[in-house]
Amino acid sequence: MSFLVQLATGFIGIFKAGADWWWAVFVGIVPLVIVLMTAFNAIIHWIGQERVEAFSKFASRPGWLYLPFRYLLLPIVAVFVLTNPMAYTMGKFLPEKYKPAFYDAAVSFVHPPLGILPHVNPGELFVWLGIASGVSTAYGATAVADLAVRYFLTGMVVILIRGIVTERITAAMWKKPVVETPAAKTPAAKMAA
Amino acid sequence: MKTLTGFLTRFGRAMGGIVGTLYQAGRDAVDTVWKNVLPFLAFVAVIVGIMTGTGLGSWIATALEPLAGNVIGLLVLSLIIGLPVLSPLLGPGAVIAQIIGTLLGTLFASKTLPLSAALPALWAINPQVGCDFIPVGLALGEAEPETVEVGVPAVLFSRFITGPVAVLIGWVAALGM
Repeated sequence: MSFLVQLATGFIGIFKAGADWWWAVFVGIVPLVIVLMTAFNAIIHWIGQERVEAFSKFASRPGWLYLPFRYLLLPIVAVFVLTNPMAYTMGKFLPEKYKPAFYDAAVSFVHPPLGILPHVNPGELFVWLGIASGVSTAYGATAVADLAVRYFLTGMVVILIRGIVTERITAAMWKKPVVETPAAKTPAAKMAA
Repeated sequence: MKTLTGFLTRFGRAMGGIVGTLYQAGRDAVDTVWKNVLPFLAFVAVIVGIMTGTGLGSWIATALEPLAGNVIGLLVLSLIIGLPVLSPLLGPGAVIAQIIGTLLGTLFASKTLPLSAALPALWAINPQVGCDFIPVGLALGEAEPETVEVGVPAVLFSRFITGPVAVLIGWVAALGM
């Protein structure tokens, strides 16, 4: 009998541990997320779709001078205003050759702002929050704020690098589909096909 | 009197507009939290319960600890997650990144991992971000099929390079934390 009681306690204990965790996050994080999201939803509404489109047309120009616009400002604005996954629609103003690089930069920016702007990707909050909540427990709220800012700033550096690297790789692979001889097909071209 | 009523009408309309927008924004926010955040929270809660309740979590966390504790290990982790064959499999819903992140979080909570490892770790668990979504993402950007054909492998190869680069940037940027 005592064995059964132990078993039951252990069984319930598993879910109790989950419930404790759920409650801590629900009380500690969710209200903040809701309030922040409300504010940003309203701000985005006031900025308006037309202004964002005008900006993305401006930032979509070719040439290396526009690299920081294409792979830094445009993805940031797109992710901030349109959020995941609608941010990728901003690629439509870009020349075809830049679209993969823009997607790479934009999709890489859907997590780094989560510590400051959780509205951009609330469904994937735990990419950030998993580590952040552990840091918060051990090192306090100041450390988490520090981490959030650094994650955001390194995100800006990383998406610019990703945009440039992917643009180069795309350019190198671009010629290959034009050559229609089967021998010219690289493993990459096969993968894509 | 006419200017006054005119002013009041405009003022009232503007206020109504602001309140209406904020109300709608709040409705959208609660909707998203209700439909996307809370279900995921429940799902993670079950995983966390099983992990902590059975000790499986601490076992996996201990296995990850040598990888997560230093920059070489984090680079290795990012290389594995960023493998062009693996990254599209690990991408969907960022579920893997979120679970690994939560497990690593327990190591930070117990101070097993130093604070300075947090930023490179955030980058190491995420080189696969969006790798499952490339054709859809490009289609949203109205890309031609030929662009998708080149773009999918281009992004996957790029990640294999930029994944570890991001870890290094995170590691450097975490100095002095």
